[in-house]
Amino acid sequence: MPMMTGAQYKQSLKDGRLTYIDGDQVTDPANHPLLKTAVDVAARVYDSFYSADPGAYNPTYIIPRSLEEFRERQEKLSKGVTDMSLGTTGVSLLALTSAAATLGTLNPEYKDRIYAYVDYCREKDVRCAEVITDSKGHRKKRPNKQSDPDFYVHVVDRNPNGVFITGAKMHISAASIEHELVIMPTKAMYPGEEDYAIACAVPVNARGVSIIDMTYAPRGDDVRHYPISGKVNCPEGFVIFDNVFVPNERIFLDGETAHAATLAHSLGLWERAAGLGDAGEHADREVGMAALLAEANGVADDARIKDQLANLVVYATMCRAAGEAAMVNATKTADGNMLPSPLFVSALKYFKSEFRAKLLDIQHDIAGDQLVNAPTVADFENPELHDGLASMFAAPGFTPEDRLRLFHYVRDTTADAYGGWAFVTGQLAGGGQHAQRIVTMRQYDMEHAKEIARRAVGIGKYAKKGEDNWKPLSI
Amino acid sequence: MPMLTGEQYRASIRDGRAAYLDGKRVGDVTADPLLAVSVDWVAKTYDANYSKDPAQRNPMYALPSSANELRAQMAFLAASDFTAATTAGCMTLREILPDLGKIGPAYKERLERFLDRCRRDDRRVASAVEDGGITAAGKVRVVARREDGVVLRGAKRHVLGASVVHELLVVPSGPVAKDDGDAAIACAIEPSAKGLKIVNTTTAPRAEDDRHYPVSREFSVPDCFVMFEDVFVPNERVFLCGETAFAGTIVDTLGIWERARSASEMADRAELVLGLAQTIAEMNGVETVEHIRNKLSMITVWASMCRAGWDRALANAKTTPSGTVRPDDSAVYATKAYGGERYNDMLSYLHDISGALVLTVPAASDYDNQATHKYMEKYLRTMNGVTGEARMKIFHLIRDISADQYGGWKKVTEQMIGGGLIAQRMNALDHYPLDGVKAMARAAAKIE
Repeated sequence: MPMMTGAQYKQSLKDGRLTYIDGDQVTDPANHPLLKTAVDVAARVYDSFYSADPGAYNPTYIIPRSLEEFRERQEKLSKGVTDMSLGTTGVSLLALTSAAATLGTLNPEYKDRIYAYVDYCREKDVRCAEVITDSKGHRKKRPNKQSDPDFYVHVVDRNPNGVFITGAKMHISAASIEHELVIMPTKAMYPGEEDYAIACAVPVNARGVSIIDMTYAPRGDDVRHYPISGKVNCPEGFVIFDNVFVPNERIFLDGETAHAATLAHSLGLWERAAGLGDAGEHADREVGMAALLAEANGVADDARIKDQLANLVVYATMCRAAGEAAMVNATKTADGNMLPSPLFVSALKYFKSEFRAKLLDIQHDIAGDQLVNAPTVADFENPELHDGLASMFAAPGFTPEDRLRLFHYVRDTTADAYGGWAFVTGQLAGGGQHAQRIVTMRQYDMEHAKEIARRAVGIGKYAKKGEDNWKPLSI
Repeated sequence: MPMLTGEQYRASIRDGRAAYLDGKRVGDVTADPLLAVSVDWVAKTYDANYSKDPAQRNPMYALPSSANELRAQMAFLAASDFTAATTAGCMTLREILPDLGKIGPAYKERLERFLDRCRRDDRRVASAVEDGGITAAGKVRVVARREDGVVLRGAKRHVLGASVVHELLVVPSGPVAKDDGDAAIACAIEPSAKGLKIVNTTTAPRAEDDRHYPVSREFSVPDCFVMFEDVFVPNERVFLCGETAFAGTIVDTLGIWERARSASEMADRAELVLGLAQTIAEMNGVETVEHIRNKLSMITVWASMCRAGWDRALANAKTTPSGTVRPDDSAVYATKAYGGERYNDMLSYLHDISGALVLTVPAASDYDNQATHKYMEKYLRTMNGVTGEARMKIFHLIRDISADQYGGWKKVTEQMIGGGLIAQRMNALDHYPLDGVKAMARAAAKIE
């Protein structure tokens, strides 16, 4: 089957799915005011990669087996338009294939089904959502000890052809504008929790699936005041499974509690690694934004501003360094699939989130209140206001439009609905800060570090006898 | 004249003022759905304080003369709409009347008359301080002097509430150079003055169902860019014109109440953040988890220190020569600098404790929809005693104040009061009684 065009993709969403937003059912996502932009962007992504060649496929379906292949995949992806749905598709499938070898040791069919599913998605050119976080109920109680057994998605019935699942999954980016839901257990499961150790895939329009959407897409008639979120946005889905049937060929884990967390770890790694290739580039953009704001406000030579920019430069440099280290220290799974270094991936994710609060403070301090009260594009176009605003907003080296665009961009991305979404998801996607620290600790070679310390101190096997033990050490 | 009711206030601002929003001229600010949010907020303060007694006046016009009165004044402002704080701030200019009289007796009389009239007629005032641009064209200045007044051109930005008040108090944005007398202008202008154009931005929610925005649907104030296109100001409304040496005094005095309100609010907000974090931790059942307790403890320290800073500002309040009690500047700046510097980190902890439902919990209208209601109640509840609805409301509140349009506006706006984080810190240093601590250091070192 050839790849889909954007138009075919839009048409494919009219498949009887049950989607809701703001209390109303959505019958056609492509034409709903709050979902239309997200669908349009996804359609542009389809068109940007489209080829009529029956053997062609989107590079997001490539499962890299080496660093070179990973970079080749990135290179191919960079040639088209990208969006959340393309990203979640790649991450979902990479998470499955990274876990395939381990799951195959439990049941060879799991591994075969995973690779067959990847083939299916590639051939049909469908988009997949990462469906992992359960509603969880009381966070300290195990899934089978909750006041409602459905707080975690679980198998409620089965027959020879498959299983039936019930529960809800939260924060599912792009779910209602994609085709497939790739469902995984949210965490490790223990004996007695077999029904909760379920990983599988179902189509979005499967009977019993309902999705309630939330979106940071700007509201109002004129969205030009939102230069990024007005053009690119994505719904987050609250996905409900009410006795949904899953055929056997779409089941990748069913009851093997010991490996329930394998997929979560795999997904977490690829989620965190999603921005790896351009971590340095993104950080450089933030530095550039602060430097431009300083120039636009005529304070670029202020010693205090330079001091703040230096902080940002150090941040950007470390982001680039950690991104590169994650690739250079990549490993392979038993299947030969490439895995970026979990240590550097987690350390980078933690560092970026930790510094983000400070980064925003610096940008906001340099920008000033104009960031949040600069008039809109429509104000600027109004003949009664245009000349006045044009003369007030001019600055050496910047046209009034330049300055307004700069303020609008930084507000939209850091101090408005989308900025808030980016701040929180940047921190919580792939696990919160605590999870990053735990993974980093687990991956860090503490024994090696202690060995170096012992050698420096001269204890343990490095202890010398008598006077020699107290001689100065070479560091 | 007695005080105004909320309805009388609404009628009083239907005066043809040239307000703009989203590129369109707003005919009646009280009828515009977005600006009406602010009008309603102001009207509530009017109604809450209304008295038929012709001798009664709103407390915002009184200057506190004791520490207790100061504390009560701040509590009153915290419970009132934003224009109450800006109006109270303008009243502090009574402080400078004696000195103003020395450079121009007429200035003193006019300013006193203006402040008296605001009090008598229950008028709200917005302060127009920051110049609109960084080039000469963007700064408000006198472009013509006539026998009966002056003509102004330029712009002021970040004039909170300009389109919903009765008066704009225009002052220089800071000290003015000796050779720039035309920029040393302080005066009062009514929003309906000819040549004045008010461009509004607002955090009032645009969603059809605004219940998703529990704070901004009630507490949004228009942030205005005010353009002066040859606006005539009659002499009786001019309080300074050309006396550059006095420009800094006016703006500094005007800023005292704004900074104080902001520091006081920082202490309140920090406690709200802690309350929300602890509440959602309990609703999620994780209040005893170690890393959650660790984050809660950091928010607790922050909230305690913000409260301590504001308490210190009150405890060390100074009585001015005219008898007004004002909070200690160094403590105010320190509270703002410390509270602001840690603010984003604290929001990160709040978000980490809450989880991503802060962003993704569906809307109240989804909760009302019969098709989705049962699922929302079922999956948003966490345990007996925690309903899905209550948890949804907490998430909506957290998102609105910390991760949405209003949250972004509020964060940047409060950060910039007092000049930004670095300026606040530097001002804390500049206002600190260093002689005392230097003497302490010398005594400890046993040197003269």
